[in-house]
Amino acid sequence: METEYDQVLHSVAQVKIADQINDSGDVNRDEDGVKVSCFTEVFDDVTLQFQIIRLTKQIYVWIGYNSAKFGNLYAAASTRPSNTVSVTSVLGGTSDNTGSGIARRLVMKAGLNIILACNIPKNNPLLEAKAEKMLIRKLIDLGYTMPTPLRAT
Amino acid sequence: MESLDANFPVRHRKFSLESKGNKTEIVICSYEDHILVIATQIGAVGAILHARKEEGMSVEPTFSVSVIFGKRDEPMLIATARRLIDHISSFVPSKPLVLSLGLKDHSSETLKEIVAAVIENRLW
Repeated sequence: METEYDQVLHSVAQVKIADQINDSGDVNRDEDGVKVSCFTEVFDDVTLQFQIIRLTKQIYVWIGYNSAKFGNLYAAASTRPSNTVSVTSVLGGTSDNTGSGIARRLVMKAGLNIILACNIPKNNPLLEAKAEKMLIRKLIDLGYTMPTPLRAT
Repeated sequence: MESLDANFPVRHRKFSLESKGNKTEIVICSYEDHILVIATQIGAVGAILHARKEEGMSVEPTFSVSVIFGKRDEPMLIATARRLIDHISSFVPSKPLVLSLGLKDHSSETLKEIVAAVIENRLW
């Protein structure tokens, strides 16, 4: 029997990025520079806060769980030549790893380097998966994703 | 530009400055337990530094500043973080600083201008 966790994971995997019909060069020519987006999602007595700062070539994301603490900082990027995604813990979180999976999968879906700060408590994979799904939807809505996501190897 | 949503727990401020022909975009965010400053000319985070005030017994404050990501051979970046944490800790002693500097030019004039602009627009 499929657990709720498996169901959420399946739906995360199915969040597809639609092919961009317009010229994707528009995103590259955007002269507005840095853009900051903040939003909050509430569900099941849990408040998740998201902050997305889009730099021209990278995206910084902060995920807050019920508080405004900074949390652990991870950096993830695709590495040549095979386009596998590498992730490293930059601040805190060395034995914890909550958030490193999110950072990896964000790079795979979005195709851009990600710096992620996340204070989601450990041993809560359902919460991580829900946060990741909300984040990916928002990144797609904001148009920060590349047309062809990287494939996991 | 200040953050518009009064209910969002993290305040942020975004602005830019011109220095030596380079446009530097700066974002300052104030979290509950950290201050984040991103200063970029290259559209990327560049080097990330962490700076905090050490709890100590002596009268003079001591600071711990280190590069946690990126270029480790630029002492001017560390000096910049040191200057900022000095300022931050005199207002909010318990908040460490995470500073991201993605710059084309690491000259002291540019860094001084960045420090001055961040202090002028501070959120602490």
